[in-house]
Amino acid sequence: MTTSSSSPVLAARLDAVTKSFGVGSGAVVALDSVTLNIERGRFTAIMGPSGSGKSTLMHIAAGLDSPTSGRVWLGDTEIGALDDAALTRVRRDRMGFVFQSFNLVPTLTAWENIVLPFELGGRRIDDSQRAWITDLCHSLGLGDRLNHRPHQLSGGQQQRVAIIRALATRPEIIFADEPTGALDSRTGREVLTLLADACARFGQTIAMVTHDPIAASYANRIVVLADGSLRHDIGQTSAAEVSALMLSLEEAA
Amino acid sequence: MSRLDTADNRASSPAEYRSTGARGGAGKSRMRLRDYRASMIVAALSAAFGVALVIGTGVLSSAISAHQLAGEHDSVRITVLIVSAVFFAIAVYVSAVVTANTVATVIAGRVREIALYRLIGADSSRLRRGIAREGLVCAALGAVFGTVPVVIAGLIIVPMLVDSRVLPDIPYQVLDPLLKAPLMITVAMGYLASWVGSQRVSQVTPIQALTVAAADPTRPVARGRRVGATVLLIGGLLALLGGVVLGLVSPLGVLVGLVGGVLSFSGIVMFAPVLMPALLRLTGGWMGRSPASRIAAANAVRYPERSARSMVGIVIGVTLVSMFAVASSSYVQMMIGIADEQPEYAEGMNQILTMTLAIFSGLFGFSALIAAVGLVNNLALGVIQRAPELGLLRTLGFTTGQIRRMIVAESAQMTLVSVGFGLVLGTFYGWCGAQATLGAQLGHGLVTPAIPWGVFGIILALAILVAIGASLAPSRRATRGSAVAALAAD
Repeated sequence: MTTSSSSPVLAARLDAVTKSFGVGSGAVVALDSVTLNIERGRFTAIMGPSGSGKSTLMHIAAGLDSPTSGRVWLGDTEIGALDDAALTRVRRDRMGFVFQSFNLVPTLTAWENIVLPFELGGRRIDDSQRAWITDLCHSLGLGDRLNHRPHQLSGGQQQRVAIIRALATRPEIIFADEPTGALDSRTGREVLTLLADACARFGQTIAMVTHDPIAASYANRIVVLADGSLRHDIGQTSAAEVSALMLSLEEAA
Repeated sequence: MSRLDTADNRASSPAEYRSTGARGGAGKSRMRLRDYRASMIVAALSAAFGVALVIGTGVLSSAISAHQLAGEHDSVRITVLIVSAVFFAIAVYVSAVVTANTVATVIAGRVREIALYRLIGADSSRLRRGIAREGLVCAALGAVFGTVPVVIAGLIIVPMLVDSRVLPDIPYQVLDPLLKAPLMITVAMGYLASWVGSQRVSQVTPIQALTVAAADPTRPVARGRRVGATVLLIGGLLALLGGVVLGLVSPLGVLVGLVGGVLSFSGIVMFAPVLMPALLRLTGGWMGRSPASRIAAANAVRYPERSARSMVGIVIGVTLVSMFAVASSSYVQMMIGIADEQPEYAEGMNQILTMTLAIFSGLFGFSALIAAVGLVNNLALGVIQRAPELGLLRTLGFTTGQIRRMIVAESAQMTLVSVGFGLVLGTFYGWCGAQATLGAQLGHGLVTPAIPWGVFGIILALAILVAIGASLAPSRRATRGSAVAALAAD
């Protein structure tokens, strides 16, 4: 499943995606005909106040939720058309996830958590992959923590394990959902530097949902949603400017 | 749907899978002894019961045939084996329901973890196969734990009985090749019941790993399940009534009735998530109007699956015991009727009746014991899984006493409703059983069921004691630590 041939620059694409929850008069439109291209090799932040639809947008882009209308692609695979088994394989082989709550399996060690996606796919880890993962672990300072269980690690360490797990399979895209939400500000900055580094050094595509202007300032591109529609689409911006932008959105509402 | 995936998985050899350093990482994570304790105990009980039955019937038929002509040996043995097989089948059925229930309860407490596995690329059929394999391992371990002491006991007790001249002095085969049958049936039961119980895995969506909110607890029963349950219920009832009718002319009626009973009861078990909350709703006001009582009544209805799982265990146990009580009372009543008409039979009959009833109570009691294991485990797991919810109530100002009262009120209401329902079912099944077994011999046509009120009272008292005891201990544990820690537990 290579995607390089037909869409060399787009990792993911949403075309006129609408999502509503509920029916009749109680229906809520979470996304209102949103079209968005996420470019390969870039760190894109998806921002918006709570209730803006940013989480729904990520869920749909990752194939975790289906749109009410509109089409969704990962590379040149239209994921809206896939059944559950095919979507499972796409998630396993072509996507990575980093969450606010780290979401490590509590009974597995850090290393076991990292290699889980390989194991679930029944794939053997070859030497180059093993070297890649080991390198990542060492450069993130986790080399001696790999036999520890999640509860023996600090929040920052847990999140680094989750990031290594996401990077390990070299997925086409990593979806990060408020990855700094549960961390103190210093650890949060370390994690953001890490994500930005993965993008800059390895060309890893990352789409990060956040409401934190500081987190967004690490991204190459910032997309702002409000009330289910795209309001702004800007390049790398300082946290102060992002804050001002968000504030203006709040005031307009 | 998952055919492609299955092929995928097959392509990777188990050796390869192991070589990644965390053998069965997916499996190991779910394998926690506490969760599977009940499955193992149940497998041990069921295997022990089956093995004891095989040894017992073997010894018994050898002893009987020592007094008889050689040619009759086989027929005696076969008759006794069939009777044992019926009781073993009931015990295996109860074990299967308990095991499936346990697995379903464990999964309900692991939705987030399973969702995480699904999110990072495990397909649900693979997860289900893993759970079924764990069920197989548990059942195999349990079966061995259950078998060994029974066989050893048999090897010791049989020679002792021969020495004390209870049994005639002939060679007995305690290590019967047939011993393999209950072992293998128990292990197969563990595998299949775990597979059935793991059905809920396929309803877990990956997105549940990302959202904080709990899954919608009021999800309706799937349509396929409704259809299956209806077919079982109606087909089973028809077979049961067919057995009763056939019982009027032939003693084989009871076998048809047994099949009908198992099928229709399975239908009721499958309908439990709809049926039980409906019964709970009707009785919600019984527990009073204090905040603890009101939340208790609402809780019982709010999580229909959880309530149903706890209640099914009580319903099975109560149905079994009351069915037997009603059947034997009806049986005694019919026999007394005959004795009045034909006094010459009355003398010998009393003794046989007493002995038969004693043996059969023991045999049914065993299945009720298995059901009780399931009930205790289910209530305990349920309370442990609710630690965050209980923590929330405490941060809102509930005292630990109020929380315990709430849990006890929930258990009490569910127990009362299940016992009542079980008694109604037991009366119906018991009457069908008595009618199907004896209708032909009596030539009396239909009889009115005899209801042993005293036994019913004892059942009610025991069930309430077990249920409240089973939920009090874990509720104490659940309210022991700090409320904030409980709240954070996930």
